[in-house]
Amino acid sequence: MDTNSRKRELVKEFSPMLVKSSFLSSVWILTLIAIIAVGLYAFYLQLTQGHEITGMRDNVVWGVYIINFIFFVGLSYSGAFISGILHFFKTPWKNSVTRIVEIMTILSIIVGPIFILLCIGRLDRLYYLFLYPRIQSPITWDIIAIITDIFGCFLYLYLTFIPDFAILRDNTDLKLPNWRKKLYTFLAINYQDTESQRERLHKITSIMSKMIIAMAIVAYTVLAWIFSLTLQPGWNSTIFAPDFIFSGLYSGVGVIIIAMFIIRKYYKLEKYIIHSHFVMAGYVLLVLSLLFGYFTFSDYFAKWFSHKPADIYLLNTLFGHYFWQFILANYIGVIVPLFFLSIKKIRTIKSITFAALIAVCGLWLNRYLVVVPTLESPYIPIQDTRLEFMHYNATWIEWSLSFAGIAAFILFFLLIMRLVPVISMSEIIQHERHLETKQDASLKK
Amino acid sequence: MRTKITQHLAIIIAIGFLFNFQSYAQENDAENYRIRFGLSTKKQPDNSRVLEASFVGTHKKDRKDRVPVYNADINFYNVTEEGDLLLGTVKTDQEGTAQLTMPGNQKYITNDEGYINFKAVFDGTDDLDGEESELAVKDILMELNLEVIDSVRTVIINAFTLDSLNTKIPIEDAAIKVAVGGYISNMPIQEGTIEGGEFQFKFPANISGDKNGNIDVIASILDSDEFGNVVQKKNINWGVNKKIEIESNKLWSSAAPIWMYIVLSILLIGVWANYVYSIINLMNIRKEGKELDLKIKK
Repeated sequence: MDTNSRKRELVKEFSPMLVKSSFLSSVWILTLIAIIAVGLYAFYLQLTQGHEITGMRDNVVWGVYIINFIFFVGLSYSGAFISGILHFFKTPWKNSVTRIVEIMTILSIIVGPIFILLCIGRLDRLYYLFLYPRIQSPITWDIIAIITDIFGCFLYLYLTFIPDFAILRDNTDLKLPNWRKKLYTFLAINYQDTESQRERLHKITSIMSKMIIAMAIVAYTVLAWIFSLTLQPGWNSTIFAPDFIFSGLYSGVGVIIIAMFIIRKYYKLEKYIIHSHFVMAGYVLLVLSLLFGYFTFSDYFAKWFSHKPADIYLLNTLFGHYFWQFILANYIGVIVPLFFLSIKKIRTIKSITFAALIAVCGLWLNRYLVVVPTLESPYIPIQDTRLEFMHYNATWIEWSLSFAGIAAFILFFLLIMRLVPVISMSEIIQHERHLETKQDASLKK
Repeated sequence: MRTKITQHLAIIIAIGFLFNFQSYAQENDAENYRIRFGLSTKKQPDNSRVLEASFVGTHKKDRKDRVPVYNADINFYNVTEEGDLLLGTVKTDQEGTAQLTMPGNQKYITNDEGYINFKAVFDGTDDLDGEESELAVKDILMELNLEVIDSVRTVIINAFTLDSLNTKIPIEDAAIKVAVGGYISNMPIQEGTIEGGEFQFKFPANISGDKNGNIDVIASILDSDEFGNVVQKKNINWGVNKKIEIESNKLWSSAAPIWMYIVLSILLIGVWANYVYSIINLMNIRKEGKELDLKIKK
């Protein structure tokens, strides 16, 4: 195989998504920027007027922001986990999916922690966390874990991008502005795809892929401990950490499937992202939906059976005030994906994507039910508190900042896809090289 | 095409939902406010009596918009058949509240039924009309007795009024709440009704006290049409005395346990060392590429 000509072919094939900008994509980008702008305005109002303009009060001190934080960080950890697994087991069909997973991982670990900053009433005192950390506090562990994870994810993403940066740097057919050529040259760090460079890069990528699996588990466990190490009803559970990990994976796989569907359709990548990718991801989602259902049932069943007054009050709230949300999150969010994914005849790309969408929405709602009803059910009865202070309702400020977060996630996804192809070119070449070596070996035999 | 137009319309509508066109501007014109002027009274444990007038404007359209009337002179009277006896004058504070505390030995003139009639009056200004509010309550004497009867810690409340001959008349059918004092708010322990001038119950065994086990027991009749608010309080050594032992090397002590520092350090050194290792390898890749470049150029 002539590697250089194959590289040129691949660049040519992916050049439309790197160079061209359609009317529709411009409209999308402008829409996303508008949503972010509204979010920034809401942030300005929150900063100047304080948390009074949000729905958070003395009882429910955490609201939609922390739910988004858990959700996005869960996406990141699941992305890191899945990406690591794909690399670790050298999954043959991974080439078309890994980059989507890697981009999702890095973007969600950037967007997620921003939401935790929005929860903080006194942002001006944020540096106290670093000046006077309590090592025995799970919040300190989480800060350490997130900073370590952000750095690790960036490094890992960069390692996987280097060969493609080098291909784009060396390509002369692509008409790119000078700044982009300079950027590719800088980011490609003189990578020439020599045997020794390849081996070195492969070695460190391989180590990093294993490490981020462990890091994802540790970091998401620490996040779960922020809740479960308290004595709050609904949180103080020994299976909270594994439950968090599986639910994070569940939402992560869901988002990957949705992203695969949109990218495949929009960039016309039917050749690379094929039906079997969806089926494989669908199988994973199926297993995870069962695990998520199992953990959720175990958790609530133990609470119901133990008959502790605070837990029973919480369950009554969940089956009373939050009845429909509870049904949507924990029944529909599990049963619908299970139905669409387990019957072979209806397992189409669209149905798998629909199942993933339901799973993601259900999971977000599940996180809401983990956070809000518990905070509305404190152990000590609070007197002289108005009803509107005891119950939480998110305001437009919180919703617009939430949508701004989602918009930022999609916008950066689009921008990264303009920088490097969403299908890793170097991985395709590597795969073809591997197949050729295998063929040669069998011919020699 | 139609689908695309629908999609774009949906997006525009979704963005529209992000905006709030509601106005927050407050119109502070007095005409927009309904003035609420109220009088209440509370008899305190030392038999002193607090007379409290509340003077607040509530927006006619938005009841959450409340503006207290500040610095208004409120005159408190004991209303008698012969005329009103001025008890005192107090200015309203920033909450729109004026409080007058009358000593425990203060004598009041009652009517034929034994009620004391109180009146709070605001004389009015150029901007605000005069206001007045009246209240009639019976003077009640409430005794709070904390006794151990047959090894059972018992709370006994006796409540009565006095007639003109100072004869005790037990009160009937008055709702009572008993609580223990807390740092932030009081914790209710029993609710019931005073019958035949008495209410009693067994004191719970698991209430935390201060470091010596002392606890405040507070009995209150609240918002009674007949008696207003009456509070009686006693301090007793009935709380659970929990000794706070200062433990070292625990999660909740000031310094973290040694094992935690060790585990955290090992984890962090392991991870960050790997980052450094990866960066060193990246530098080597760069160096190798540079050398290759130079060779090609030569």
